[in-house]
Amino acid sequence: MTRLAKFGRPASSVLIYAVLSALIILPFLSFLAMSFFSMDGVTINRTPTMLNFYRAVTDPVMMTVFWRTVLLCGAIALVTTLIAYPVAVFIDGLQGVARYVMLTAITAPLILSYVMKIYAFRSILGGNGILNRMLLATGILDAPSNFFVFNLNAVFLVLVVLLAPFAILPILLSLEKIPASLSEAAADLSASRWTAFRTVTLPLSRPGIATALSFTFIMSIGDFVTPQMVGGPNGFTFGRIIYSQFGLAFNWPFGAALGVLMAAVIVIVLAMAMRLGRVPGGAAR
Amino acid sequence: MTRSLSAQAGLALITALLLIAIYGPIGVTVAGAFLPMKGGIIQSFTPSLAAFEKLSTDAGLIRSLVVTLAVGVVATMIAVMLATALALFSTERGGTHARVVTLIVFLPFVMPPMVTGLSLLIFFRDVGIDRSLLTVTIGHVAIILAIAYRGIAVRLTDLGRSQIEASLDLGASRWQTFHRVILPNITGSLAASALLCFALSFDETLVTLLLTGTESTFPIKLWGMTRLGITPAANAILAILLALTLAGSALAIGLRRRSQP
Repeated sequence: MTRLAKFGRPASSVLIYAVLSALIILPFLSFLAMSFFSMDGVTINRTPTMLNFYRAVTDPVMMTVFWRTVLLCGAIALVTTLIAYPVAVFIDGLQGVARYVMLTAITAPLILSYVMKIYAFRSILGGNGILNRMLLATGILDAPSNFFVFNLNAVFLVLVVLLAPFAILPILLSLEKIPASLSEAAADLSASRWTAFRTVTLPLSRPGIATALSFTFIMSIGDFVTPQMVGGPNGFTFGRIIYSQFGLAFNWPFGAALGVLMAAVIVIVLAMAMRLGRVPGGAAR
Repeated sequence: MTRSLSAQAGLALITALLLIAIYGPIGVTVAGAFLPMKGGIIQSFTPSLAAFEKLSTDAGLIRSLVVTLAVGVVATMIAVMLATALALFSTERGGTHARVVTLIVFLPFVMPPMVTGLSLLIFFRDVGIDRSLLTVTIGHVAIILAIAYRGIAVRLTDLGRSQIEASLDLGASRWQTFHRVILPNITGSLAASALLCFALSFDETLVTLLLTGTESTFPIKLWGMTRLGITPAANAILAILLALTLAGSALAIGLRRRSQP
């Protein structure tokens, strides 16, 4: 090896891995270990047991909420990506100032407080909210609708809107990488615009689609603030149940076990996203 | 490629609808700073600056803002320094070391904030560290580290080895090489990473909620307020932040335009 290999060698490996262990590895291991403990009244019993996992998968209420949450977050990921794709295509087609302005318009809201945005949605979606009043005033509705009033529909709508920028950006990045010459070649070979899009642009933007789907899924399944704020009493999600185990219910081992289940779902989703993200035809781009 | 007019109109329509949905709640927030509101419902349409006057006397709110800034600055500095060391380490060693470091660094970022936050919560309790602003800051470092690491590692890879090898061959020490050759070359990505890290830390809610002690940051203060109703003073802060963000973005766009002939 060249001398470069020696750059920064002394003791650095030990130091680097020590810092990473203290900051990241040990916390995740504590989390995993906690899921095998149990509660003795208000103290944590550190004898390993599988009871938490057994309870989690046999409790019908827990499993209902679990599958409902997975379904909800899958739907959120799908719909958000379906909306984000055409928006990314639109921005990709812009040039110069218009492009920068649109990019800013999409990314600037990310800076504004998450809690505040959800709170603002409450004044829009509520029974006496702006949306209902507008629909009444325009005569679309005769009486206020309860469809979006503090239930899972409201959680769905709020998360789709809030997560859309996170889906637009990766898709836009993958669209930007596609050389214009490919679409032109398709056009020269007398493909219609739609055929060119379907056979050239869409397959080549698969990495962006995969990132958008997995990112929005993970962000929504791990969220407990949005369901808490617009989900109402019936809008229970898995995240909310886990959070409650560390608060009022005070059963950290059971909460950790539920968290491990959630992490397992996420690992599966990431593996699926990696498969989906491969550009067909082999060669890595 | 040129698009048909109808396709372009359809895309523009979807984009416009999404922007309305995104900016609706922001509009309500800004309106709350100027118009009297009760429970998120606008009471009348006579604008006033009363919220901004209340803000100047709301010590608790201002304190939470100062705490958030302090946590953000400290966490960003630690994350950028640590990420620089990690990026140097993994680009230089390559192979398994690079893969392992990248995997570990991205773990807290890829897992939802709740899983990361709970892991840190349990770990701090196991080792006997009470929840405080210290634990919040460590939590923020764990989350934003991946962003800084990625930005710096990409820049280091682009930089390549030849300049560093040349410097070492010419007898510069490792520290001199870092200081005189590497650092000037990565300043841009350090600054960009720091900005992104600070922005993430400033609005971090989920991990902070799990790790905070008695002192709360601005997002946690807002979260606490949501039960009783967010005060107009909080709306005023957000209106100011939004104005600063938009002004900053406009400035950045302007600078970029000027630098492009």
